Parts: sequence; C-alpha cells; structure tokens
Amino acid sequence: MLKAKTIGKKDAAKSSTRLHKRKFQADLAEAEDSMVRSLKEELQLSSNSDFLADAVALFRWAVRERKRGRRIFSEADSGERKELLFPRLERVAPGLALPRADIQWSAKELESIAELASREPAAPTDLLIRALRG
Amino acid sequence: MAVIIRRLAESDDASSFDCSDTPLNNYLKRHAWVNQQKSAIGVTYVAVDEAAPRVVLGYFTLATASAPRDSLPPKYVRGLPPYDLPMILLARLAVDRRFTGKGLGHSLLSEALRISLRVAEDVGIRYIITDAYQERKAWYVRYGFIPIEGGPESRPQRMFLDIRTLRLASQSNPR
Repeated sequence: MLKAKTIGKKDAAKSSTRLHKRKFQADLAEAEDSMVRSLKEELQLSSNSDFLADAVALFRWAVRERKRGRRIFSEADSGERKELLFPRLERVAPGLALPRADIQWSAKELESIAELASREPAAPTDLLIRALRG
Repeated sequence: MAVIIRRLAESDDASSFDCSDTPLNNYLKRHAWVNQQKSAIGVTYVAVDEAAPRVVLGYFTLATASAPRDSLPPKYVRGLPPYDLPMILLARLAVDRRFTGKGLGHSLLSEALRISLRVAEDVGIRYIITDAYQERKAWYVRYGFIPIEGGPESRPQRMFLDIRTLRLASQSNPR
C-alpha cells in the first residue's frame, strides 16, 4: 500500500511520479530474455519500463476486443487472413457469444427442474472444486 | 503433452477425430463449424496439443436455453421471479478414443464450467444442464450434476448443476 507524506512543492511532481510507480520483476528464460532484447531493439525502446508499458497496452487492447466478442486477424496484401488464437484471450470473451437453443421438456422434467431450482444449492463436490481451480 | 482448449476455428482438423460415437464424430466434422459461425446455434471449444495445434483431440459445445416458467408447476413458480429459467446447455462433450483416460474429459468439462461461470457474471444463468449417456451419468454425478427425473427413456439422462453450487466451488479450497 502506498503511504502519503507531506512534501515540499519543489519535489512534488517528482515524488508524485515515484509514489505511483511500482517495481515489476520477472524471471525470464534465456530465450525469452533474448526475445525481449530483440523486440526492444526492433521497436527502438530503450527501457524495460517502456517495453512493458507498450506490451501491456497491446494486451489490454486485445483483451478488450475479445471481451466484446470481436476476433483479431492479421491480413496480408493478398487478402489472406490469419486469426490470432491465444488461449488465455479466448477465456475472456467467448461466453458472451453463446447462442440460444430450444430444448424439449416433459411435464415431469419441468416439475423436477423447478423443484431443483427452488432448493438451496448443493455443496460442491471435491472434484468440482478441483475442476474450477485448474 | 500440453493441451490448449479454445474456440473451434475453421482451419481446425477434425478429420481423424474418433470418439467411438458416430453422432458425436459427425457433429464435430460436419456441423460444429457451421453451427458456430453461420447458424449461431452452438459454440464449440476444442482441445488441441500445443505441438499440433490444429488437430482436435476433444471438444464440447455450449449454448444458452431456458425452461418456460409458464409450464412450471404453480407450487414452485410462487417462489421464483416472473421469468423463464435461463440456463447453459452443455450440448456435447467428447474425447478422441486415443486420448481417453488421460484426464482430457476432466479438462474439457472444467473449461466448460469456467466458461459457464463467466457467462453467468454477464447474463442471467440459473443452472447448467446436459444430456448424459446412461454409462456416463456417474461421471457427471461426481462433479455434482443431479439427474432430472421424468425424461423419456429413449433419450439420454438430462442432468442439472446449480450455478450457485459452481460459485461455491470457485470460492472453496479442496478438502
């Protein structure tokens, strides 16, 4: 948690900036480290902070698009398109696009489901708990 | 083998998929993409190996549905709000027979349940239902699905899981 303190005007801007920044440390495999260095060079980014800020901005945009149900493509001059399929991204959006199905119910099933729905929820089984923690 | 579960894409290869059940095989090979992309009557999620990310090893299909409130017995309707009961239908779940016994079914069902929870945060969902083959009924029961009585014998067993039970599970620690 950040702590507020009284500071002089002179140092206000500097301290304010410092107050709102957090350290970020990551353990990278050698190959990932090389990739980061190479990307920084290609993008002419001098600091890890700038690199991270740009990467987060791009990721945030991608998450927002998928949350809206939009799909992300790259398109070549020839018109050939490739869709970005990134499993973690798929987790944020897809349910919103679930279509609707009509299913048939017998009168007894409707009675049974109404009775089940009006009960207090059953306690989750161990396997269900494990399923949701994966 | 690192398994990824994601939405079905047009370029996915289901040609060799075989779960030993012809209707489930045919659905994936012939209908899943069309139903998802053109007809919008079901979204299919596939499990693939990271090393061969287009070859489908297993899948499930989700849709939303509802039980009509007007058809529910009056003694239960009194305690329910004046709307149809909204639900998620886990329409199909299948694993290629070459990968059975490796926990792929568990991974697929887990992902289906996680998606259901996320959907329930954004739209109203009261419960999840699925139609289970008789020989798979016990498997679903282990996850807390409850058989819905009164369906025709010719049809698979319809089963019920309360979304509130799912929420409790997501907040619990394994015992």
